[in-house]
Amino acid sequence: MIENLGEDKSIYLQISEMIEDEILRDILREEEQVPSTTELSKFYKINPATAAKGINLLVDKGILYKKRGIGMFVCEGAKDRIKEARRTSFYENYVKRIISEAKLIGIDKAELKKMIDETKEL
Amino acid sequence: MGTLSGKNITKTYGKDTVLKNVNIDIETGKIYGLIGRNGAGKTTLLSILTAQNPTTEGTVTLDGQPVWENEESLSHICYSREISQVTMFGPNTLKVKDYLSTGKAFYKNWDDDYAKELVKLFNINPKKKVSKLSKGMLSAVTIIIALASKADITILDEPVAGLDVVAREQFYKLVIEEYAQTGRTFIISTHIIEEAASLFEKVIIIDNGEIILTENTEELLARAYRVSGETEAVDLAVEGFKVYHPESIGRNKVVTVLAEEPVAGFGEDVQVEPVALQNLFYAMCVDERKEA
Repeated sequence: MIENLGEDKSIYLQISEMIEDEILRDILREEEQVPSTTELSKFYKINPATAAKGINLLVDKGILYKKRGIGMFVCEGAKDRIKEARRTSFYENYVKRIISEAKLIGIDKAELKKMIDETKEL
Repeated sequence: MGTLSGKNITKTYGKDTVLKNVNIDIETGKIYGLIGRNGAGKTTLLSILTAQNPTTEGTVTLDGQPVWENEESLSHICYSREISQVTMFGPNTLKVKDYLSTGKAFYKNWDDDYAKELVKLFNINPKKKVSKLSKGMLSAVTIIIALASKADITILDEPVAGLDVVAREQFYKLVIEEYAQTGRTFIISTHIIEEAASLFEKVIIIDNGEIILTENTEELLARAYRVSGETEAVDLAVEGFKVYHPESIGRNKVVTVLAEEPVAGFGEDVQVEPVALQNLFYAMCVDERKEA
């Protein structure tokens, strides 16, 4: 959770995505406490209302839940829920961008497929 | 504590109209950013809201009560102004601790322990005369008074102007800490917009004596776009939108769009990027100067 905030999208969305990333990477585990709104706002120098908006978004998505008087925790099954949601936007957010760059520099379908077939990381 | 409200405020100095029919509501429990160019009227507005300066026309109320010569209302408001190093009679011989004890006498919620803690944090010698302080130290003293006042509405006029980057970061964190703990209302004017933008829940933009905008910062930026591409494509894409600061380079053009509401898309032929507050402010205020 120490990435810099960018200007490419709303800060509250960046906060919620960063927490999701941490959950996907197992840095934050299910049933573990997440940093408080105040901690987040101090660390990122953002208005506490903005940090709260990011956290609340994750509560609405069933990723985080509130333990009264203690703080926010990661829900059971949060990781799967995040994966599922990100899968549905994967084409729109990532594949489309690859295709548009490929078009621009003249990489055709066959060449792109070959690159994917040959990658050892997947 | 209720809303601090300025209604139809006009301020003239001789033939100069510094504020033109300004209306403003400062809601409780928010951090406001006040931005505007030099001479836009920021300091005049702040001094009028805090009854340190009379209006030519219009009224300022707190919770419905006029603030002018109203001790009860004013005890809830702290306007920590830049300290002057010279007086009519030569150098200002007052010491830092004199200013701190004035704060203690004036603000009913003054927190002396907090003031001492801040004096240490900013490394200020309380026995030093203010005429001997550096610009950064002067800024630090005004910040200390503002924070330790614990006033419900705390106004800081360019608090970071003389501060180095470390002290500025310290200041931002102190404001967040204090705000998170108490929910006090802050109004902070600044020229270093980029650094502080994410701190402001609401932003007030003042230009040429008029408030051109008061809005939730996130909502404002959510309807602002930088649209670029081939000139004709850009012109077509932004038709009907409010456009600021068009710039051309070669066959390309870039404009800043402030739409009424967030826009789903501007079409495939143009590039669309978000706009940071500082750039939006620049685009809005640079244009008006040109037209004037």
